[in-house]
Amino acid sequence: MKVLLVEDEKTLAFEIELFLKKSFYLCDLAHTAQSSLEYMSSNQYDFILLDLGLPDMDGLKLLLEAKKLNPEAAYIILTARGKTEDRIAGLDLGADDYLSKPFSLPELHSRMQAIARRKYRLNNSEVSIGEFVVDIQKRTIHHGQAEIELSRKEFDLLSYLLLHKNRPLTRMQLSEHIWGNFIEDDNESNYIDVHVKNVRKKLGAFASTEWLETIRGVGYKIRKQA
Amino acid sequence: MKLLNKLTLSITLSKLGIVLLFVIILPFIVENVASEYTNYHLKQQKEAVMKSVAWNGVNYYLEGDDSYGSYTMLKEEYISLEASPDIRLDTIETSRRLVEQDTLVYRVLSYTFQEKGKTYLLEIGKKLTSINEYNKPLQRIALYVLIGLIILSSIIDLLYTRYLLRPLQLIIKSKLIKQSFPFEKTAKPVRTSTADFKYLDSSLISLMDQIREAFEKEREFTANASHELMTPISILKSKIENMMIQEEVSEDNLQKLTELMTTVSRLSRIVNSLLMISRIENDQYLMKEEVDIKALVLEVVTEIEDRIQGKDIQVDLRLNESFLFQPCNKDLLFQLIYNLLNNAIKYNVPKGSIRITDRYTPEHRYELMISDTGIGISSADIPLIFNRFKKVHVQRSSGGYGLGLAISKTIADYHHIEIGVESELDKGTTFKLLFPISQA
Repeated sequence: MKVLLVEDEKTLAFEIELFLKKSFYLCDLAHTAQSSLEYMSSNQYDFILLDLGLPDMDGLKLLLEAKKLNPEAAYIILTARGKTEDRIAGLDLGADDYLSKPFSLPELHSRMQAIARRKYRLNNSEVSIGEFVVDIQKRTIHHGQAEIELSRKEFDLLSYLLLHKNRPLTRMQLSEHIWGNFIEDDNESNYIDVHVKNVRKKLGAFASTEWLETIRGVGYKIRKQA
Repeated sequence: MKLLNKLTLSITLSKLGIVLLFVIILPFIVENVASEYTNYHLKQQKEAVMKSVAWNGVNYYLEGDDSYGSYTMLKEEYISLEASPDIRLDTIETSRRLVEQDTLVYRVLSYTFQEKGKTYLLEIGKKLTSINEYNKPLQRIALYVLIGLIILSSIIDLLYTRYLLRPLQLIIKSKLIKQSFPFEKTAKPVRTSTADFKYLDSSLISLMDQIREAFEKEREFTANASHELMTPISILKSKIENMMIQEEVSEDNLQKLTELMTTVSRLSRIVNSLLMISRIENDQYLMKEEVDIKALVLEVVTEIEDRIQGKDIQVDLRLNESFLFQPCNKDLLFQLIYNLLNNAIKYNVPKGSIRITDRYTPEHRYELMISDTGIGISSADIPLIFNRFKKVHVQRSSGGYGLGLAISKTIADYHHIEIGVESELDKGTTFKLLFPISQA
């Protein structure tokens, strides 16, 4: 998938680019609205990640311009302004999603995947892990013929770990994904343990869940199978 | 009382006072004028008589007699001339005279003069009743004219006052009553030729402009601060996340990075909370929604369900009333109820319970109550829990920076919701939200 990242903060842009490349996206980088428009006029992107606070053009105006050049692309707005009106205005103008800074890179990846599934109707939304088959889109998990019931948050947790297979995710990252902005203090990430315990219990009744590893002092990860 | 009404009242009262005063003193004035005029008239007559006497000689009138008298038919006036003992008189006084069996009261001028060694007394009299006979109608007419004039002048005064004060009323209406913070565009000056009003109006306009500018600056600062603070935090967070997914990172370093990330997250939460408070206080949230409180509470309970289960807490949800709250901001209200419910879970004992109830107060205001069976708050700390920078409760601060309640208070104030708390140590805490009456 081809991504254009429009972000004037160079250090941040570099980190996002690094992460996206590791997650197998092709990534172009633009630091100004002007250069981003040049990129867009010569390329068609699948994703355009747009910082609204660019120095040389109003972000919402740029979004309108960009939609003319790359009508097929999925747009995700990245902003530090965080005002509700901005969010509403951005979504009204046809942005597909909106992330407030500071956002988590795995979260960005997860949002992009969700859009990709929705927008490009990827047929292959099934992922197998251990003896289980998870359908991310239909939100189901099967062991052979048997369907295992997970709560909404348990499924969110599992699919988030699956998406970032073989990467450790901290309790903080997991709770930010599940509860969004509502986490109020560090303690609350402990609820993640409760969810993981439940997932293990529910799946463990069918087969081994040793692929779901606890990393002490960090969080959890799903180990890539040989 | 309005200035216009005060002026109207004072004008009316002062004019009434004048009328009253005039009614009291008018008889004296009229009487006085009548008698002064009579005196003058008598003196004139005396001069005329004396001129004739000097011309014709006394005997021309006395014709050898001792006295001469002449009066009009109705005895309204008389003139008498007689020889008199050698005294000197030149007076005007009111006294009785007997004229043809009638005793009448006259205003009498008495004057003595000498001719050929003999003294004569001249009396000129004017009947008192005839002097006063015009007084009454004169008084009445004067009174009518006065009342008429006063009514006329009152009307003119009132109309003019009203006209004069109209700019002031316009200023009050356009600058004070209709304005609510934050002021929108520059207000239009009120047209008036009165210098004081012009000064007042322009002062108000410049004051409002200054406030608006300061307000805009603060708004701008919040937006900038948000951008300036969030960008570096964002960079830190991304860098840590990228480091964590490097394959060669050791377990030890992974733990350190996790701690680092936790700290960065805490920083970002604090900044976010402060910015949220500042945004609310700067009116940056739209208040246009209508929310069914019962449905909202259910939504929050669903959202927070796993925490309730995690601590094995019983939730007793007894919402019997219905209440549509508007205007409001749903996201903020959600946050408010979420924070309160989250506290009720966080500071509860394991296997404790939470009761959510509602009622209408006798004043028809809707009240939502959230009670827990938690550790409670000491009475000394209660006044401080909503304060955003006082971290008082050691027990309560088991994590986080206690900004949750400060945010709750800010949201409640923004919606004119009264937030109250009752608590007993080791027994539990009840938070009460007393909603204003919805504006239809």
